This record gives sequence, structure tokens and C-alpha cells, in this order.
Amino acid sequence: MTGPFGMVLASTFERMMAVYEGRDGRGVVFQPRIKHWFEVNSAAGTLPDKYQGMYLDEVYRDLDVAPREVWVPGTRGSAGYLALKIEEGDDIEVWSRGYRASSPEGEPQDLVFTEYRTPKGSISQLERVTEHGASVYNVDYFLKDLKDVEVMKYILQERRYLWDERRYEWGKKRFGDTIPLRVNLQRSPLMWLFVGLMGFQRAVTMIWRHPKEMEELLAMQEADFIKMLEVCRGKPITELHFGDNMHQDMCSPPYFKKYMMPFYKRVLPRVKEMGMYSTAHWDGFVGQLLPLVGETGLNGLECVTPLPQGDVTIEQMNEGMKGMFLRDGIPAVMMCPWTSLEALGDHVRKLLKLFYPRLILGISDLTPANADFERIRFVKGIVEEFNEAL
Amino acid sequence: MSTKREAVLEDVRSSLVNFDVEALHRAVLSAVESGSQVQDVINAMAEGMSIVGKKFEEGEYFVPELIMAGETMKEGVSTLKPYMKGDSTSSMGTAVITTVKGDIHDIGKNIFITLMTTAGFKVVDLGVDVSAERIVQAVKDNDASILGLSALLTTNLEQFPLIMDKLKQAGLGGKVRVIVGGATVTEDFAKQAGVDGYAKTALAGVEICKNWARQDQAKQT
Repeated sequence: MTGPFGMVLASTFERMMAVYEGRDGRGVVFQPRIKHWFEVNSAAGTLPDKYQGMYLDEVYRDLDVAPREVWVPGTRGSAGYLALKIEEGDDIEVWSRGYRASSPEGEPQDLVFTEYRTPKGSISQLERVTEHGASVYNVDYFLKDLKDVEVMKYILQERRYLWDERRYEWGKKRFGDTIPLRVNLQRSPLMWLFVGLMGFQRAVTMIWRHPKEMEELLAMQEADFIKMLEVCRGKPITELHFGDNMHQDMCSPPYFKKYMMPFYKRVLPRVKEMGMYSTAHWDGFVGQLLPLVGETGLNGLECVTPLPQGDVTIEQMNEGMKGMFLRDGIPAVMMCPWTSLEALGDHVRKLLKLFYPRLILGISDLTPANADFERIRFVKGIVEEFNEAL
Repeated sequence: MSTKREAVLEDVRSSLVNFDVEALHRAVLSAVESGSQVQDVINAMAEGMSIVGKKFEEGEYFVPELIMAGETMKEGVSTLKPYMKGDSTSSMGTAVITTVKGDIHDIGKNIFITLMTTAGFKVVDLGVDVSAERIVQAVKDNDASILGLSALLTTNLEQFPLIMDKLKQAGLGGKVRVIVGGATVTEDFAKQAGVDGYAKTALAGVEICKNWARQDQAKQT
């Protein structure tokens, strides 16, 4: 790749590798998440004319920014292409059905009921599909009481993971030369319990009232996590990503010290030994947790959200993340038309100044469906100016 | 009040602050048996919740502790229920609190509710993803003095001005004070939406509501 006067420019791939390795990559990569914006506006029929009929890859190419596709374990609503497959135990049946029902408002809503039938009993969850079908959220969780916890432990014990070579090859063909391969793993056990299995308030109450049983479950979740991790061993993966959705109001500092820190300390040396880099998704309020993150051994954090959307300044982020790299950093709300372009520009320049070379710039957490999409180009322009000045 | 009765009420307070359900159960029964009025026991639990709220403000307790305190209090009220007659009223007024239509995020809303309850408000929790029409109806039905609206997604912020319009149409404009919060809500956006208050955190929101309640009380006296 050459620039003016035959100057050799680093590729996106090389620049990202430099971020992982802590080197100066001679330029910042801008890698915004736009999949949600694209899917909602596609479904609503509100995509700008020029993007009508395009695939997401083509929109990324048109913007000339780094694609953000990842290879993930794969659940409904996940982004990217799947390199890991889940295989449930032989005596476990998974049943799922979608249906339409009335909401309390009287409007129709699309729901997905999923049930696991096992020799230890059954568990079920109910999810609601969001308005434009781009995502789902839990209306009811799998784990409601200790009986369900026992069923879940059995499911986790019997579950295994496989590397999906065909899907990986296909993803590699599309993105492998552009961005280093990253695999999204499950959330860390505590956050998985809160967000995916039991719901926050019930989980807090259960941990308080039934500590022994819940700690056994968390240990089983960790064992399951290790199974997933081990499938990645020896594969051409650069980054392993923990989709934690960290937020201090859910994972308070005492919880972080009791559950998260020991987990990271047990698991991350294994990631390092596998020759991979580790990152976690911290997209909530994190001011009380940032002072602790340095001890975890994580190489980078994704989606840390500064003010006015999050609870920390860019300077506090920089201070708390010493030695780590940041992916993202632009609060999503700054992409909306009611915030000033000037504020967005100042914010991006400050991020570049404070975090370069340990920065992959992006939006925390993603481009909102009602964003002023041309702001992606505006940010790209600032990044280009910055890179040219290096 | 006798020393013994006061000591038992202190047990009620401290067992709530320590999330000790068994001890609270015993203390509540003991308080009633030793002649305390039901309202005194409720007040002691409310004082315990107030101490929990203070510890939260000071960074000693966090959201999980608020949840545990709320659960402990529920158990205490349940123990007390056979002795209760009628409904207890709140001097701070009634607040209807909800996450707006299209949004299902509820952690911030629930923290706000816990702290509002701790501060002495009667709270009507409408849940998440609630339409403007249902919100306005709930304000009317409960004669609420405060309406708390939460939204996390930028796409749902447009519900704020819509709800303000519906309140006006229902003749409630100026009668109920509206406070908004949620990570993507900015002060500027709140101003544009025409609401009465904006808070970055649940704690800040409760302080605003307490000031409003004090102003209302001062007007009435």
C-alpha cells in the first residue's frame, strides 16, 4: 500500500496488529459498528438511497472504514460469521417456537419460546423480538429457582463446542486479509448469569440466599467457558473477546473482586499461553471498576463509554487503562443529530491525542439506528487528517 | 416509649441494614408483641432503608446491597402483614416511574425506584416498554406528583416530548413534575423535551424529587 511520493503506508491489518502488540502502527484504524443501524433501517425501509440494495460489506467498503465483523459462537441476533458450534448432550432436547401475541398495550409482539428438556428436568425462556427484528431480549429467563439451576448444571456438563472450519474459511475469505481474526466468547460467568441466564435482580438475590448452590453453578459456567476456549487453541485467532457488557451497577466493585478478578486471573494466562490477545466489552458505567482493570491481565477494553453517555472522562479512561488498548470511545449519542458536530470533532481529536497508538477508534457501543450516518464520514475525515500528520 | 420497645425497634433497623431476614422476622414479631404500633415498626424499617441509602451514597453499599435490602424489607412487611390495617400513606407524595415505549432497560429505573422508596415516596412502577397513553393514565389514576421516565436507547428518546404533549392534552401539564434519566439522555435533550428535571444518576434524581416534595409541603403549610 503506497501513499503520496511512494511512501509505504501500513494496511488496516498491520495497523491493528500494531495496536495489539503495543507498537506504533503509523496510523489509527476507524472500525465503527454499523450492523444495527443497517439492519434496523433496512427493515424499516429508511436506508439512505445510496445504500438501498447493498450488503453490509458493501456499505463498509463505500465508507472506506474497517469492517467490524467477527466470528462468534452464534446466537440469534449476533454479529458476524460463526467459527464455533455448540453441541448439546445426547439426551438433551432443545425445542423452540416463535409466535405472535398481544402486548399489555394491545399491540402484537413477536416472541420466541425456547425449552431445554433433560433427564434432570426442563427449563425454558421467553424472548421478545425487537421492533425491526434486529435483536431479541429476555422477557423471562431460563433460571428461576434452584431446581432450574440443577438442570442448567447438567446442560453445561454435557455441552461441547466444535470448531466450524467451513464457516471460518468463508469468513476468512471475506475479511481475513483486512482485519485480524477475532472470536467472541461467552460472557464471563457472573455477567452471563446476570444478563443471559437469570436476570440481574433474581441472580443477586439467589447468590445472597443460596451462595453454595450458586457458586457451584458459576464454577460449572467457568468449566464450560474453558471448553469453549480450548476449542480455539491452535487456531489462527488473534483476539479472544469476552462479551461481558460490564456495568458497575450490576457488577459492583465487591462482586468484581470476588468473582470477576479471580476468573480473569485463572483464564487469561491460558489465553496468553495460546498466543492470543484478550479484550472485554465494558459498555456501562465503569468509573468504580477502571481502577481495578489493570490487575485483570486483559490486553484491551471495548466500548468503554465516556461522558456525556458514560460516567468517566476520556482522561479517567486513559488513566485507568494504562498499558491496555481501547477499541471505540465515541459515545453513541454523539452520532445523533441533536448533539453538535463541533463537540464530536473535539471528542475524537482528544481520543486520538490521548490514546494513540493504543487505539482502534469506534463507537461505544454502536451506531444508533437514528444516527446522522454522515457523521461516520466526518469522523473518518478527522482520522485521515491525524494519520497524515503522523 | 419504653427502653425495651426501643431496643426491639433498633433490632428491626439493624437486621434490615445487615440483610438478616431471620433476625428481622424475629424482631418484627417481638416488636409487635412488646406493644409497638404497626406504624412504628414500618417506620423502623424505613429508617433501616434510609441507612442503606446513605451507605449507598457514601460508596459503602452498591446496587446488589440495595436489592438485598429491598428483599429483606419485603420479608419484614410480609411478617407484619397480619397485624396491618388499611394502607400506609406517604408524606412525600406518589411517583409513577417507568421505562418508555420501545425500551426494555430497567436497571437504572429499578435503582431509582429503590432509592425513591427509601426516601419515603410511594412508588408506582409501570415496568418497561410502556406507551405514553398508559403512562398518562397511571399518573391520573394514582394522582401522582412526580413522573420518572427512563430511556437508554437513542431511538426512544422521542417518547419524552410525546409524553409531555399527552400530559398537557390530559390536563396534567404543570400538575405533575416530570424527571428523566438514562445513559443517552443529555441535559440539552431534556430541556428540548420540555421536562422539569434531568438527572445523570439515580441519586441525583432522588435529590431533585425530594426538593420538589419539600416545595409542595411548604406550599401546603
